[in-house]
Amino acid sequence: MSRSETQSDTYSESHVILTSVRILAPFTLTYGLFLALHGTDTPGGSFQGGAIIGVTVLMLAFAFGIEPTRRWLKNSFITGLVTGGVVIFAATGLATIALGGAFLEFDAFTDAFGLSHHWGMEAIEVGGVALIVSGVVVTLFFAMAAGFTPERYNAVQEDGAEVSDDD
Amino acid sequence: MSALAYTLAIFILLTAIATALFRDVLSAIVVFGAYSLGMAILYTFLLAPDVAMTEAAISAGVTTILLLLTISRTTRPSTDRIFERVNVPAVVVVGAFVTVLGTLVLPEMYAVGDQTAPIWGWPGLDISPSVYYLENTVADTHAHNAVSAVLASYRGFDTFGEAIVIFAAAIAVLIVLKREVFT
Repeated sequence: MSRSETQSDTYSESHVILTSVRILAPFTLTYGLFLALHGTDTPGGSFQGGAIIGVTVLMLAFAFGIEPTRRWLKNSFITGLVTGGVVIFAATGLATIALGGAFLEFDAFTDAFGLSHHWGMEAIEVGGVALIVSGVVVTLFFAMAAGFTPERYNAVQEDGAEVSDDD
Repeated sequence: MSALAYTLAIFILLTAIATALFRDVLSAIVVFGAYSLGMAILYTFLLAPDVAMTEAAISAGVTTILLLLTISRTTRPSTDRIFERVNVPAVVVVGAFVTVLGTLVLPEMYAVGDQTAPIWGWPGLDISPSVYYLENTVADTHAHNAVSAVLASYRGFDTFGEAIVIFAAAIAVLIVLKREVFT
Protein backbone atom coordinates (compact mmCIF):
# COMPACT_ATOMS: atom_id res chain seq x y z
CA MET A 1 0.00 0.00 0.00
CA SER A 2 1.37 3.35 -0.99
CA ARG A 3 -0.78 5.05 1.59
CA SER A 4 1.46 7.32 3.60
CA GLU A 5 1.47 7.31 7.38
CA THR A 6 1.00 11.06 7.63
CA GLN A 7 -2.27 11.13 5.73
CA SER A 8 -4.54 10.15 8.54
CA ASP A 9 -7.64 11.46 6.80
CA THR A 10 -7.58 10.31 3.22
CA TYR A 11 -7.61 6.58 2.92
CA SER A 12 -7.88 6.40 -0.84
CA GLU A 13 -4.46 5.35 -2.00
CA SER A 14 -5.35 5.36 -5.66
CA HIS A 15 -4.47 8.33 -7.82
CA VAL A 16 -6.79 6.95 -10.48
CA ILE A 17 -9.79 7.25 -8.17
CA LEU A 18 -8.74 10.67 -6.91
CA THR A 19 -8.15 12.10 -10.38
CA SER A 20 -11.24 10.63 -12.00
CA VAL A 21 -13.48 11.81 -9.16
CA ARG A 22 -11.96 15.29 -9.41
CA ILE A 23 -12.83 15.40 -13.10
CA LEU A 24 -16.21 13.67 -12.89
CA ALA A 25 -17.73 15.23 -9.78
CA PRO A 26 -18.57 18.65 -11.31
CA PHE A 27 -20.27 16.94 -14.24
CA THR A 28 -22.33 14.53 -12.14
CA LEU A 29 -23.36 17.38 -9.85
CA THR A 30 -24.40 19.50 -12.85
CA TYR A 31 -26.26 16.58 -14.39
CA GLY A 32 -28.09 15.90 -11.14
CA LEU A 33 -29.07 19.55 -10.80
CA PHE A 34 -30.17 19.58 -14.45
CA LEU A 35 -32.36 16.52 -13.96
CA ALA A 36 -33.90 17.94 -10.79
CA LEU A 37 -34.50 21.44 -12.16
CA HIS A 38 -35.63 20.30 -15.60
CA GLY A 39 -37.66 17.28 -14.54
CA THR A 40 -41.00 18.74 -15.59
CA ASP A 41 -39.98 19.10 -19.22
CA THR A 42 -37.37 16.42 -19.92
CA PRO A 43 -36.95 12.77 -18.93
CA GLY A 44 -35.77 12.37 -15.39
CA GLY A 45 -37.03 14.28 -12.45
CA SER A 46 -36.29 15.26 -8.93
CA PHE A 47 -35.97 11.68 -7.65
CA GLN A 48 -33.31 10.80 -10.21
CA GLY A 49 -31.65 14.20 -9.90
CA GLY A 50 -31.59 14.02 -6.12
CA ALA A 51 -30.11 10.51 -6.26
CA ILE A 52 -27.33 11.66 -8.59
CA ILE A 53 -26.57 14.69 -6.39
CA GLY A 54 -26.35 12.31 -3.43
CA VAL A 55 -24.10 9.94 -5.38
CA THR A 56 -21.76 12.86 -6.11
CA VAL A 57 -21.21 13.24 -2.37
CA LEU A 58 -20.58 9.49 -2.13
CA MET A 59 -17.96 9.76 -4.89
CA LEU A 60 -16.24 12.59 -3.03
CA ALA A 61 -16.27 10.51 0.13
CA PHE A 62 -14.68 7.56 -1.69
CA ALA A 63 -11.93 9.74 -3.13
CA PHE A 64 -11.19 12.11 -0.26
CA GLY A 65 -12.04 9.91 2.69
CA ILE A 66 -15.31 9.33 4.45
CA GLU A 67 -14.48 11.09 7.72
CA PRO A 68 -13.28 14.37 6.12
CA THR A 69 -16.39 14.43 3.94
CA ARG A 70 -18.55 13.80 6.99
CA ARG A 71 -16.88 16.67 8.83
CA TRP A 72 -17.21 18.93 5.80
CA LEU A 73 -20.92 18.17 5.39
CA LYS A 74 -22.21 18.50 8.93
CA ASN A 75 -24.56 15.72 9.98
CA SER A 76 -27.03 18.33 11.15
CA PHE A 77 -26.89 19.91 7.68
CA ILE A 78 -27.82 16.62 6.00
CA THR A 79 -30.64 15.79 8.38
CA GLY A 80 -31.72 19.41 7.97
CA LEU A 81 -31.89 18.87 4.20
CA VAL A 82 -34.17 15.86 4.61
CA THR A 83 -36.39 17.52 7.17
CA GLY A 84 -36.46 20.74 5.18
CA GLY A 85 -37.60 18.82 2.12
CA VAL A 86 -40.51 17.31 4.03
CA VAL A 87 -41.39 20.71 5.50
CA ILE A 88 -41.33 22.44 2.08
CA PHE A 89 -43.43 19.66 0.55
CA ALA A 90 -46.02 19.82 3.34
CA ALA A 91 -45.98 23.62 3.40
CA THR A 92 -46.71 23.75 -0.33
CA GLY A 93 -49.66 21.44 0.16
CA LEU A 94 -50.96 23.39 3.14
CA ALA A 95 -50.52 26.68 1.27
CA THR A 96 -52.86 25.49 -1.47
CA ILE A 97 -55.40 24.59 1.23
CA ALA A 98 -54.97 28.03 2.80
CA LEU A 99 -55.66 29.60 -0.61
CA GLY A 100 -58.92 27.71 -0.89
CA GLY A 101 -57.87 24.70 -2.97
CA ALA A 102 -57.37 21.06 -2.14
CA PHE A 103 -54.06 19.62 -0.85
CA LEU A 104 -51.44 20.25 -3.59
CA GLU A 105 -54.05 21.73 -5.94
CA PHE A 106 -51.63 24.08 -7.63
CA ASP A 107 -54.34 25.94 -9.52
CA ALA A 108 -54.92 27.78 -6.25
CA PHE A 109 -51.55 29.50 -6.84
CA THR A 110 -52.71 30.51 -10.31
CA ASP A 111 -55.87 32.08 -8.94
CA ALA A 112 -54.11 33.86 -6.08
CA PHE A 113 -50.76 34.97 -7.52
CA GLY A 114 -51.03 34.26 -11.24
CA LEU A 115 -48.28 31.64 -10.93
CA SER A 116 -48.33 28.88 -13.51
CA HIS A 117 -49.36 25.40 -12.35
CA HIS A 118 -45.86 24.39 -13.40
CA TRP A 119 -44.27 26.28 -10.50
CA GLY A 120 -46.21 24.38 -7.88
CA MET A 121 -44.81 21.15 -9.33
CA GLU A 122 -41.31 22.62 -9.33
CA ALA A 123 -41.72 23.60 -5.68
CA ILE A 124 -42.46 20.08 -4.49
CA GLU A 125 -40.05 18.43 -6.94
CA VAL A 126 -37.00 20.61 -6.35
CA GLY A 127 -37.77 21.84 -2.86
CA GLY A 128 -39.27 18.59 -1.65
CA VAL A 129 -38.36 15.34 -3.33
CA ALA A 130 -34.86 16.28 -4.55
CA LEU A 131 -33.78 17.46 -1.09
CA ILE A 132 -35.27 14.41 0.61
CA VAL A 133 -33.74 11.87 -1.79
CA SER A 134 -30.26 13.40 -1.90
CA GLY A 135 -30.25 13.84 1.87
CA VAL A 136 -31.42 10.27 2.52
CA VAL A 137 -28.82 8.78 0.16
CA VAL A 138 -26.03 10.66 1.94
CA THR A 139 -27.49 9.89 5.37
CA LEU A 140 -27.69 6.15 4.67
CA PHE A 141 -24.14 6.17 3.35
CA PHE A 142 -22.70 7.96 6.37
CA ALA A 143 -24.72 5.82 8.75
CA MET A 144 -23.42 2.65 7.11
CA ALA A 145 -19.90 4.02 6.84
CA ALA A 146 -19.72 5.02 10.50
CA GLY A 147 -16.76 3.24 12.02
CA PHE A 148 -15.12 2.70 8.64
CA THR A 149 -12.23 4.84 9.81
CA PRO A 150 -8.68 5.06 8.45
CA GLU A 151 -7.34 3.28 11.56
CA ARG A 152 -9.69 0.42 10.94
CA TYR A 153 -8.67 0.37 7.30
CA ASN A 154 -5.02 0.08 8.34
CA ALA A 155 -5.77 -2.79 10.65
CA VAL A 156 -7.49 -4.64 7.86
CA GLN A 157 -4.62 -4.00 5.49
CA GLU A 158 -1.83 -5.00 7.85
CA ASP A 159 -3.34 -8.24 9.03
CA GLY A 160 -3.68 -9.39 5.47
CA ALA A 161 -6.60 -11.50 6.47
CA GLU A 162 -9.75 -9.76 7.57
CA VAL A 163 -10.33 -8.79 11.14
CA SER A 164 -13.76 -8.68 12.65
CA ASP A 165 -13.29 -6.35 15.57
CA ASP A 166 -16.93 -5.39 15.76
CA ASP A 167 -18.25 -5.03 19.24
CA MET B 1 -36.64 -5.77 -30.21
CA SER B 2 -33.33 -5.46 -31.93
CA ALA B 3 -30.41 -7.86 -31.78
CA LEU B 4 -28.76 -5.48 -29.32
CA ALA B 5 -31.70 -5.78 -26.95
CA TYR B 6 -31.54 -9.58 -27.13
CA THR B 7 -27.81 -9.51 -26.42
CA LEU B 8 -28.55 -7.27 -23.46
CA ALA B 9 -31.22 -9.66 -22.19
CA ILE B 10 -28.77 -12.58 -22.37
CA PHE B 11 -26.16 -10.46 -20.54
CA ILE B 12 -28.70 -9.68 -17.80
CA LEU B 13 -29.62 -13.34 -17.47
CA LEU B 14 -25.98 -14.41 -17.21
CA THR B 15 -25.12 -11.74 -14.62
CA ALA B 16 -28.21 -12.66 -12.61
CA ILE B 17 -27.18 -16.33 -12.53
CA ALA B 18 -23.58 -15.37 -11.73
CA THR B 19 -24.78 -13.19 -8.83
CA ALA B 20 -26.58 -16.16 -7.36
CA LEU B 21 -23.74 -18.60 -7.95
CA PHE B 22 -20.59 -16.71 -6.96
CA ARG B 23 -19.28 -17.85 -3.61
CA ASP B 24 -17.22 -14.72 -3.04
CA VAL B 25 -19.59 -11.97 -1.89
CA LEU B 26 -17.44 -9.21 -3.38
CA SER B 27 -17.61 -10.83 -6.82
CA ALA B 28 -21.36 -11.25 -6.44
CA ILE B 29 -21.78 -7.55 -5.61
CA VAL B 30 -19.70 -6.45 -8.59
CA VAL B 31 -21.63 -8.72 -10.96
CA PHE B 32 -24.88 -7.47 -9.41
CA GLY B 33 -23.82 -3.91 -10.29
CA ALA B 34 -23.30 -5.03 -13.88
CA TYR B 35 -26.74 -6.64 -13.81
CA SER B 36 -28.32 -3.36 -12.66
CA LEU B 37 -26.54 -1.42 -15.37
CA GLY B 38 -27.80 -3.92 -17.97
CA MET B 39 -31.33 -3.50 -16.63
CA ALA B 40 -30.98 0.29 -16.85
CA ILE B 41 -29.98 0.08 -20.52
CA LEU B 42 -32.82 -2.37 -21.19
CA TYR B 43 -35.31 0.12 -19.72
CA THR B 44 -34.21 2.69 -22.29
CA PHE B 45 -34.99 0.13 -25.00
CA LEU B 46 -38.45 -0.15 -23.44
CA LEU B 47 -38.82 3.65 -23.73
CA ALA B 48 -38.73 4.25 -19.97
CA PRO B 49 -35.83 6.70 -19.49
CA ASP B 50 -37.08 7.80 -16.06
CA VAL B 51 -36.97 4.25 -14.74
CA ALA B 52 -33.60 3.70 -16.42
CA MET B 53 -32.07 6.70 -14.64
CA THR B 54 -33.43 5.55 -11.31
CA GLU B 55 -32.11 2.03 -11.87
CA ALA B 56 -28.67 3.33 -12.84
CA ALA B 57 -28.39 5.78 -9.95
CA ILE B 58 -29.97 3.79 -7.14
CA SER B 59 -29.40 0.13 -8.02
CA ALA B 60 -26.09 0.28 -9.84
CA GLY B 61 -24.68 3.15 -7.79
CA VAL B 62 -26.01 3.58 -4.28
CA THR B 63 -26.94 -0.04 -3.57
CA THR B 64 -23.56 -1.32 -4.74
CA ILE B 65 -21.76 1.18 -2.51
CA LEU B 66 -23.91 0.33 0.51
CA LEU B 67 -23.38 -3.40 -0.03
CA LEU B 68 -19.62 -2.87 -0.37
CA LEU B 69 -19.58 -0.89 2.88
CA THR B 70 -21.53 -3.65 4.57
CA ILE B 71 -19.26 -6.50 3.54
CA SER B 72 -16.21 -4.48 4.55
CA ARG B 73 -17.32 -5.22 8.13
CA THR B 74 -17.68 -8.95 7.62
CA THR B 75 -15.10 -11.67 7.31
CA ARG B 76 -14.44 -13.24 3.99
CA PRO B 77 -14.95 -17.00 3.94
CA SER B 78 -11.87 -18.90 2.88
CA THR B 79 -12.76 -19.84 -0.66
CA ASP B 80 -11.31 -22.71 -2.58
CA ARG B 81 -14.27 -22.86 -4.94
CA ILE B 82 -15.44 -20.09 -7.25
CA PHE B 83 -19.09 -21.04 -7.28
CA GLU B 84 -21.52 -21.80 -4.52
CA ARG B 85 -22.75 -25.37 -4.20
CA VAL B 86 -26.13 -25.64 -5.93
CA ASN B 87 -29.12 -26.64 -3.84
CA VAL B 88 -30.89 -29.08 -6.16
CA PRO B 89 -34.41 -29.06 -4.57
CA ALA B 90 -34.43 -25.24 -4.59
CA VAL B 91 -33.37 -25.19 -8.24
CA VAL B 92 -36.13 -27.66 -9.12
CA VAL B 93 -38.80 -25.57 -7.36
CA VAL B 94 -37.62 -22.27 -8.85
CA GLY B 95 -37.17 -23.88 -12.25
CA ALA B 96 -40.74 -25.22 -12.19
CA PHE B 97 -42.01 -21.78 -11.20
CA VAL B 98 -40.11 -20.09 -14.03
CA THR B 99 -41.29 -22.72 -16.52
CA VAL B 100 -44.93 -22.20 -15.56
CA LEU B 101 -44.54 -18.43 -15.80
CA GLY B 102 -42.72 -18.65 -19.12
CA THR B 103 -45.12 -21.06 -20.82
CA LEU B 104 -48.48 -19.97 -19.39
CA VAL B 105 -48.26 -16.33 -18.33
CA LEU B 106 -45.72 -14.75 -20.67
CA PRO B 107 -47.53 -15.61 -23.96
CA GLU B 108 -50.69 -13.96 -22.59
CA MET B 109 -48.98 -10.61 -22.05
CA TYR B 110 -49.45 -7.77 -24.50
CA ALA B 111 -46.58 -6.72 -26.72
CA VAL B 112 -44.80 -3.45 -25.91
CA GLY B 113 -46.88 -0.63 -27.40
CA ASP B 114 -49.85 -2.87 -28.28
CA GLN B 115 -52.82 -0.56 -28.89
CA THR B 116 -55.32 -3.20 -27.75
CA ALA B 117 -53.81 -3.44 -24.27
CA PRO B 118 -56.24 -2.53 -21.45
CA ILE B 119 -54.12 0.48 -20.49
CA TRP B 120 -55.44 2.25 -23.62
CA GLY B 121 -58.99 1.84 -22.46
CA TRP B 122 -61.56 -0.90 -22.12
CA PRO B 123 -65.27 -1.31 -22.95
CA GLY B 124 -67.52 0.88 -20.83
CA LEU B 125 -64.80 3.41 -20.07
CA ASP B 126 -64.93 6.69 -21.96
CA ILE B 127 -61.25 7.47 -21.71
CA SER B 128 -58.52 5.55 -19.94
CA PRO B 129 -56.46 7.37 -17.30
CA SER B 130 -53.22 7.00 -19.25
CA VAL B 131 -54.75 8.41 -22.42
CA TYR B 132 -56.18 11.28 -20.38
CA TYR B 133 -52.77 12.05 -18.90
CA LEU B 134 -51.04 11.93 -22.28
CA GLU B 135 -53.62 14.18 -23.93
CA ASN B 136 -54.15 16.74 -21.17
CA THR B 137 -50.81 17.03 -19.36
CA VAL B 138 -49.62 20.12 -21.21
CA ALA B 139 -52.97 21.89 -20.99
CA ASP B 140 -53.51 21.05 -17.31
CA THR B 141 -50.04 21.45 -15.86
CA HIS B 142 -47.90 23.28 -18.48
CA ALA B 143 -45.30 20.51 -18.04
CA HIS B 144 -44.02 18.47 -20.97
CA ASN B 145 -42.95 15.36 -19.09
CA ALA B 146 -46.14 13.38 -18.51
CA VAL B 147 -44.43 11.14 -15.93
CA SER B 148 -43.42 14.13 -13.81
CA ALA B 149 -46.89 15.61 -14.21
CA VAL B 150 -48.52 12.41 -12.93
CA LEU B 151 -46.08 12.16 -10.03
CA ALA B 152 -46.04 15.78 -8.93
CA SER B 153 -49.45 17.07 -9.92
CA TYR B 154 -52.16 14.52 -10.67
CA ARG B 155 -50.96 12.18 -7.94
CA GLY B 156 -49.09 14.65 -5.76
CA PHE B 157 -50.64 13.29 -2.59
CA ASP B 158 -49.22 9.82 -3.35
CA THR B 159 -45.80 11.36 -3.89
CA PHE B 160 -46.14 13.15 -0.55
CA GLY B 161 -46.79 9.78 1.07
CA GLU B 162 -43.72 8.28 -0.63
CA ALA B 163 -41.57 11.18 0.51
CA ILE B 164 -42.77 10.66 4.06
CA VAL B 165 -41.97 6.93 3.78
CA ILE B 166 -38.38 7.67 2.69
CA PHE B 167 -38.06 10.25 5.46
CA ALA B 168 -39.37 7.79 8.07
CA ALA B 169 -37.05 5.04 6.79
CA ALA B 170 -34.01 7.32 7.09
CA ILE B 171 -35.01 8.35 10.62
CA ALA B 172 -35.52 4.70 11.58
CA VAL B 173 -32.06 3.76 10.25
CA LEU B 174 -30.48 6.61 12.19
CA ILE B 175 -32.24 5.57 15.39
CA VAL B 176 -31.26 1.92 14.96
CA LEU B 177 -27.62 2.81 14.25
CA LYS B 178 -27.46 5.54 16.86
CA ARG B 179 -24.95 3.64 18.95
CA GLU B 180 -22.56 3.84 16.03
CA VAL B 181 -20.76 7.07 15.23
CA PHE B 182 -23.47 9.04 13.41
CA THR B 183 -24.35 11.66 16.01
